[in-house]
Amino acid sequence: MLKQFLSKLPRKSGKSDSPELARSNSCTKAGSTPQPHRSNSFNSGSGRPCAPKRTSSAVFPASVVAGIEPLLPFKDVPSSERMNLFVSKVSLCCVTFDFTDPAKNLIEKDVKRQTLLELLDFVSGSVRFSEPAILAMCRMCAVNLFRVFPPNYRSTSSNGGENDDDEPMFDPAWPHLQIVYDVLLKFITSSCLDAKVAKKYIDHSFILRLLDLFDSEDPRERDCLKTILHRVYGKFMVHRPFIRKAISNIFYRFVFETEKHNGIAELLEIFGSIISGFALPLKEEHKIFLWRVLIPLHKPKSLGVYFQQLSFCVSQFIEKEPKLCSTVVGGLLKYWPITNSQKELMFLGELEEILEAINMVEFQKVTVPLFWRIGYCINSFHFQVAERALFFWNNDQIVNLITHNRHVILPIILPALEKNAQNHWNHAVLNLTINVRKMFMEMDDQLFMFCHTHFKEEEAKLSVLAEKRKEAWERLENAASRQPITGNTAVLVTPLATSIAY
Amino acid sequence: MAMIDEPLYPIAVLIDELKNEDIQLRLNSIRKLSTIARALGEERTRKELIPFLSENNDDDDEVLLAMAEELGVFIPYVGGVEYGNVLLPPLETLCIVEETCVRDKAVESLCRVGAQMREQDLVEFFIPMLKRLAAGEWFTARVSSCGLFHIAYPSAPEALKTELRTIYGQLCQDDMPMVRRSAATNLGKFAATIEAPHLKVDIMPMFNDLTQDDQDSVRLLAVEGCAALGKLLEPQDCVAHILPVIVSFSQDKSWRVRYMVANQLYELCEAVGPEPTRSDLVPAYVRLLRDNEAEVRIAAAGKVTKFCRILNSELAIQNILPCVKELSTDSSQHVRSALASVIMGMAPILGKDATIEQLLPIFLSLLKDEFPDVRLNIISKLDQVNQVIGIDLLSQSLLPAIVELAEDRHWRVRLAIIEYIPLLASQLGVGFFDDKLGALCMQWLKDKVYSIRDAAANNVKRLAEEFGPEWALQHIVPQVLDMINNPHYLYRMTILQAISLLAPVMGAEITCSNLLPVVINASKDRVPNIKFNVAKVLQSLIPIVDQSVVEKTIRPCLVELSEDPDVDVRFFATQALQSSDQLTMMSS
Repeated sequence: MLKQFLSKLPRKSGKSDSPELARSNSCTKAGSTPQPHRSNSFNSGSGRPCAPKRTSSAVFPASVVAGIEPLLPFKDVPSSERMNLFVSKVSLCCVTFDFTDPAKNLIEKDVKRQTLLELLDFVSGSVRFSEPAILAMCRMCAVNLFRVFPPNYRSTSSNGGENDDDEPMFDPAWPHLQIVYDVLLKFITSSCLDAKVAKKYIDHSFILRLLDLFDSEDPRERDCLKTILHRVYGKFMVHRPFIRKAISNIFYRFVFETEKHNGIAELLEIFGSIISGFALPLKEEHKIFLWRVLIPLHKPKSLGVYFQQLSFCVSQFIEKEPKLCSTVVGGLLKYWPITNSQKELMFLGELEEILEAINMVEFQKVTVPLFWRIGYCINSFHFQVAERALFFWNNDQIVNLITHNRHVILPIILPALEKNAQNHWNHAVLNLTINVRKMFMEMDDQLFMFCHTHFKEEEAKLSVLAEKRKEAWERLENAASRQPITGNTAVLVTPLATSIAY
Repeated sequence: MAMIDEPLYPIAVLIDELKNEDIQLRLNSIRKLSTIARALGEERTRKELIPFLSENNDDDDEVLLAMAEELGVFIPYVGGVEYGNVLLPPLETLCIVEETCVRDKAVESLCRVGAQMREQDLVEFFIPMLKRLAAGEWFTARVSSCGLFHIAYPSAPEALKTELRTIYGQLCQDDMPMVRRSAATNLGKFAATIEAPHLKVDIMPMFNDLTQDDQDSVRLLAVEGCAALGKLLEPQDCVAHILPVIVSFSQDKSWRVRYMVANQLYELCEAVGPEPTRSDLVPAYVRLLRDNEAEVRIAAAGKVTKFCRILNSELAIQNILPCVKELSTDSSQHVRSALASVIMGMAPILGKDATIEQLLPIFLSLLKDEFPDVRLNIISKLDQVNQVIGIDLLSQSLLPAIVELAEDRHWRVRLAIIEYIPLLASQLGVGFFDDKLGALCMQWLKDKVYSIRDAAANNVKRLAEEFGPEWALQHIVPQVLDMINNPHYLYRMTILQAISLLAPVMGAEITCSNLLPVVINASKDRVPNIKFNVAKVLQSLIPIVDQSVVEKTIRPCLVELSEDPDVDVRFFATQALQSSDQLTMMSS
């Protein structure tokens, strides 16, 4: 019976004259999704009347696709035969259609849609899946879902998805894809699926290809994937380390190589719940994940897209293990944005959240570098950044920490406050600065006066110091020019000259 | 010279600076490492400075990047190549940091240093370091190590060579895709240093592994390397091992892989030789030219001429030309544009008859393309087709195309066509130019956009160079000078610019008789901007014309301008006068 239906599937050898036929289904499907045209052309000349219709008449030969016929409904066969019918129906759904032309294969598309709905219904039932059924399901999902996305012209010019105006891309094949995703989800969560058997087919390669799909431009698709992967993680204990590793690899590639990926937020969301499930005490492996993956994820410029999920993951770690606070703060300081004020605001937000949870010992480990950074933020010309930093003093928890460590903090912060008080352009910032200064005065008048005097002295010395520095370098250069280069290299190679020569 | 006795602590200066809170100061001091090293002298550089740097690598990535770069050219400061090995420890630590830029730069510097080191030092220091990196616990070390093998391998003794090959094989199968990608990227470079017998036995299996990797991104890099690898193998081995891979890649389901193949195919053809190209690669290439994905077609279309050059004209006409015809009406403008940029080169390959019969219709249709880039690309390569069939057959269609581009509403398009006018003029000849294009060149001088006017002025000069001063005096100069009366000062300024460019080409005589009076006249303009530009132009004319003219005409005018009420006019007039004084002094 199975054979009979399989024979209706598109064969690779249709007409030998069209080379595209040699490619697999999943490929042709991806290739035929509409190609976004680059927008910055002189005249947007796409709709040429003489343009050949190359979309897919050669790719989806009508004769093959026309072979799809509806099968008997499940209720019409004895229950002993249902699993076989299921396999047949699943196999029938391995045919893929060209959705770029909505008028094409209307009947066949509907047959497949109906069949998929039947499958969805059946999968929700309570019949134990046989091994051939599992195999067929995985194959059907692979054929329909695992495709290569078409080139994305938009992200080449836009800044990594930070433009909210960008319309998300919608896959025209979604009406079928969605049901396939639903079927897969139901299938995986079904109590009738024996994980021990299924793990043979939902294997590493299957998971890897599932993960590849997270780069989809379609947010609906990523949402489905998120739920499915979550369930896979829950059901297949054996695959858990592999899934974590594979996702880490995606993150590494994103942070260190491409900075382009559409599904970081979704993957982090999954990780958020994975982390909250970690047992205590945390394994070293998980701490390394925090340090090597989550912290570097603060670096890419598209941070805004997944910041919420990322900071949730980080806060989960801190909640589990408060001793990680100083590590996290240190990491944030390392990746602190220099020119991107929007990111700086996010960092300040995350920092405040951490400081609310930090204990005194951890706080004291990072006080000095932390307040140097906060000082810089207070002096930022971007008023939101300066404001956000000064708002820290509205937080009772943080003020408490500061009060206890004022002897360390005030000498660092005071110059920043004075600088603002003298000449910050923004009124709100100015007022906040003066308030904070007043807080310090009320906190410890004596200390404030001492620091203030010290600051004035230092400021006076500043130009002298710069002068001294210049002098030192001049003397050094003088000394250097008198030293001949001996060694074997007769020619003096200055760094600049060689770098040009290369 | 009292300073010599003064104690100087270069290291102290550096340490002090590197502790500063201000990153700019830290960066500056790293940039001056060579100065510090010279002041210290070679020995103290080796014993104090380098160890200090090895320990202080916890700075910002920007500082580390600068350090990695500086150390790459540090050999002279540590005492020459025999001490090159002291530079390895700091660079080794920089190879392990997180930031990719720093690692890449450190690897680059290590390659530079390693390339100069003596053979025994490579064995004693470089290779052990390489092995440490390759066995590194964190992937960054292993990623970096892949880029160093080609430096170390040639100097290694036989046993070590075997070991290095084994290690590389392990890196190709590393657990982390990051490492495998790096191994794939560097495979070509490494293979180039390996002896032929090992190439087949050891390297090919690694290549095969990489081409079958489950990660798209790794396969992609493997394709990139296959041309380089193919060139190292004997042609028959290349046919046996690389060709099947590339043919199957050309049908990969990922368009990125197919795109890579389209980009590499030509190099591969060179490696396998003409025969297998004709039998195996032509079908693959044709498939790529007809690919579903526009990006792939763009890459393939751009190589069409190079590819045809390997084939004979018969095969090209039979197999490739039909695709070219299809591509010339492709739905993607970028495909047509890519085709247009190379298609003219096909004329010499196909010969006169085929060009007229087959290519000409395509040229003509591309010349009428609605997308300006396509037309521009055709026009820019006009000389190639001119050699084969002469330009007459094209000139009828050429003119409307040029006129349309000349009046395109996008100034970048207008700018592009102006750049090609001298080329067109030389190809089409004086007659054609006078009739059709002369007026356009004048029109551009009155363009709304500054860049166009600027380019137009330059164009006038290039035309004068092309056709000679006699011609220019008749056909360009009168029209140009006419425009000095334009009511808008910006257009008058363009003319001044054109004059200053034309003068050197036209020579002293014509300059004095025709150009100079116009400039002098313009010095009485009511707009100060014109006046100070007159001063600038006059300054540029001084070296061209005779000394007597300078004294009689130019200087009096400049003196007058130097007393102008406007400060800028005075400034430039004075400047011009000074330069004229200097010239007089030098000549006397």
